[in-house]
Amino acid sequence: MTGFSLPIQVIEVPAGNIWLVEDHSVPVVSLSWSWRGGAAAEPAGQEGATSLMAAMLGEGAGDLPARAFTDAIRDDAINLSFEAQRDGFEGNLRALSDALPRALRLARSAMVEPRFDNDAFERVRARALAGARQSLEQPRGQASRAFWAGAFPTHSAGRPTGGTTDSIAALTIPLMREAHDRQLRSNGMLIGVAGAIDAAGIRAIIPELFAGLPNGAPAEGPELPAFVHFPRRIVPMPFPQSTILFGQPGLAVSDPDWEAAQIMLRILGGGGFSSRLMQAIRVERGLTYGVSAGLDVLFGQAIISGGLATENGKVAEALDVIRDEWRKMSETGPTEEERADAIAYLTGSQALQFTDSRRIASTLLALQRNNRPLDWLSARPERLNAITNARLAALAKRMLKPDELAVVVAGQPTGL
Amino acid sequence: MTRRAALATAAAAAVPVPPLARHAAAFTPPAGERPLFGARVWSLPNGMRVAFAPSRRVPVVMQYLFYGAGGGEDPQGISGVAHYMEHMMFKGSRNVPSGALSQRVAREGGNDNAFTSRDVTAYYQQVEASRLSLIMDMEADRFAFPLFPADQMESERQVVIEERRQRTDTNPRALFREEFEAALWGRQHWHGRPIIGWPEEIRAIRHADLLAFHERWYAPANAVLVIAGDAEEGALRRLVEEHYGGVDARPAPTRDRAPPPAAPPQRKVTTRSPAITEATYLRSWVAPSLTWGDTDHAWALEVLAHLVGSGQGSLLHEALIETGLATSANASFDADNVGAGEFGISAIARRGTAPDRLEAATDAVIARLLQTGAEPARVARSIRQITAGALLSLDGIGAAPRLIGNALASGLPIETIEFWPARIRAVTAEQVTATARAVLSAPRDCVGWLLPETA
Repeated sequence: MTGFSLPIQVIEVPAGNIWLVEDHSVPVVSLSWSWRGGAAAEPAGQEGATSLMAAMLGEGAGDLPARAFTDAIRDDAINLSFEAQRDGFEGNLRALSDALPRALRLARSAMVEPRFDNDAFERVRARALAGARQSLEQPRGQASRAFWAGAFPTHSAGRPTGGTTDSIAALTIPLMREAHDRQLRSNGMLIGVAGAIDAAGIRAIIPELFAGLPNGAPAEGPELPAFVHFPRRIVPMPFPQSTILFGQPGLAVSDPDWEAAQIMLRILGGGGFSSRLMQAIRVERGLTYGVSAGLDVLFGQAIISGGLATENGKVAEALDVIRDEWRKMSETGPTEEERADAIAYLTGSQALQFTDSRRIASTLLALQRNNRPLDWLSARPERLNAITNARLAALAKRMLKPDELAVVVAGQPTGL
Repeated sequence: MTRRAALATAAAAAVPVPPLARHAAAFTPPAGERPLFGARVWSLPNGMRVAFAPSRRVPVVMQYLFYGAGGGEDPQGISGVAHYMEHMMFKGSRNVPSGALSQRVAREGGNDNAFTSRDVTAYYQQVEASRLSLIMDMEADRFAFPLFPADQMESERQVVIEERRQRTDTNPRALFREEFEAALWGRQHWHGRPIIGWPEEIRAIRHADLLAFHERWYAPANAVLVIAGDAEEGALRRLVEEHYGGVDARPAPTRDRAPPPAAPPQRKVTTRSPAITEATYLRSWVAPSLTWGDTDHAWALEVLAHLVGSGQGSLLHEALIETGLATSANASFDADNVGAGEFGISAIARRGTAPDRLEAATDAVIARLLQTGAEPARVARSIRQITAGALLSLDGIGAAPRLIGNALASGLPIETIEFWPARIRAVTAEQVTATARAVLSAPRDCVGWLLPETA
């Protein structure tokens, strides 16, 4: 059985290898590119600088001040965005074919000659400050903040990528220029392209897109330390429902058991109604609207994390069920039927990743980021089907630690 | 969930969301104008309508079954029935055990879900193209023979209550939005009730209420099936007939939507919340839609919303953001409401901005607009920016069925979707001015402030 994938072409250009899925059914082209770096490379006290810099790239470039730049983008319905991540920095561009030349010029200008005008900076920083405060208005935001801080207390992964109110308030335009210089470089990028363009077209546009970026690769931050198991934290909030986040160490993206972990965790806590956690917590007990757990990748490592929200008085019961399910899977592994169903889903759903050009470009980028070979998707069903239940059980026993689940609760839980 | 929110979150969120509203009145598109999706529409003898929007990038199909009933059809005093019903539709049908539909779809590598808006309820699946017959089989079974097992009603009620807590009760801004809508329309008006329901009313819904709702609204003549993606029309027509042709015809229900109150029950609502850090300002006007009031205003209101509050270059951005009074400012309008619509603006005050100053600056924007009219250059710019990305809705297969199904199930002709860019382009500056004067100067509005406890 061959896994679904549209044909992937690899195009070598000086900037690096580009993966392309060519498709002319819709007159649209999407590009996604990324560098390592991101928030991890920020000096202490400048948390959020990379995020704010990313927002400023859309606020005027070259001889176009913010308003004119935005009009140029929107007059042609161009989607251009930059995003700082915990461990990287990503650019995304989508345009209708006839607007592509203008879109590429604007994207290049945004990366190479951003203006960082004072009025735009003040406006964007005020919005970021308000956003940082608002993100803590709800239990989900508070729980997430506490969870990451607990798991990685000494590393940037433990702090919000967008910064805190204190760090954002201290950011300045010179610090924007420093963040820009750290991150946007002519080397070290990965590129995925999808849509109505061929290899010759790619060769023509890519040098144009990145022309003028300074040489060298972006700065990188310190490596990710081990996940710290911390004692249960409760963040008091005046609401009738608590948000629970839980997690534990996972495995490296390069681990030979990576795909076995995907199967096993799909069975335990994957999306939709088929997981054990969803059955036990929502369907059987009515304790929550939704619960899931899965792999969260950062710095080439994955942690296992999950979450749900439940009435304050039911937090203890929900936590008991989660630990029970964790333990059951750890002790006995999945059933043969569960294994077959999970593999059927993971292989059968591959075509669904190719329905729109942005998703295709982003899939191509993820494959490169994880160092996957070109035939990774087409050979995937064969690999997955070869994973036995005994191997899944051994992995579950080795990986799942029901007594070492780190837990954060935001709300007014009772009975804990 | 509102329709815009449903669109934003449904199916990978990768599809641009064009303004939904297209005109109910007859419209001849300009010569040479091609329909956006080129969808085919037909009906079955039992009254069910079917639309097919082909897309052949990959061998994937989506099935959407829309019913022309949403939160707006909830009976008086028991808001939340349409949404609760949506949950209970997953609890099994004659040939499909409870929960099995989603599990079978997953086993086939697909995804499925459902949503309830004020106007429609829709159930959908996305699968590899050869599995279309399987999902039709299960969807048709729960259309004709849903079980609504009484013994699963209470645990699912708890799920709905937890959903409400998660979406609304732990979100001070969402709670305030409910309060605001109730002030503008009335707490028991169909437009003033939350789609998920008031908490005490969710608790009051009985099994018989669900059965009655299903009996009245889930009739073939009130359903629209939309298939999008990689299929061949002839084979598709046969499949649809085979699976859905046998659902018994029932009388087509008619919606019974009350007009808006002559005057809003409250013109001003102010709430203080200890959980809030940023003050939020809301103002909304009762407005025409494509199905209510002076429907000629509906398209112009779409343009007006862009001109007033679409970020950089819009009137509110200049008056509130560039002056440092606010950190965000937006305007919104959905023309495709069944019944009366709502034109709204919202802003989040910057720390240190006195609410009165923000409100006065906003009022000045509206007053100037009404006095001097909409500038033709701004109208032209808005029209260009609203329509420029129309073709992007072909990038992906989810936009077509959501837009088409929503329009047809709301009683609008498919031309409102297929030719929406031409309808927007036909709007003139004079129309925008006349519409603004007709809608924004009427005393059918409400102002809301959600303030931090310390402000």
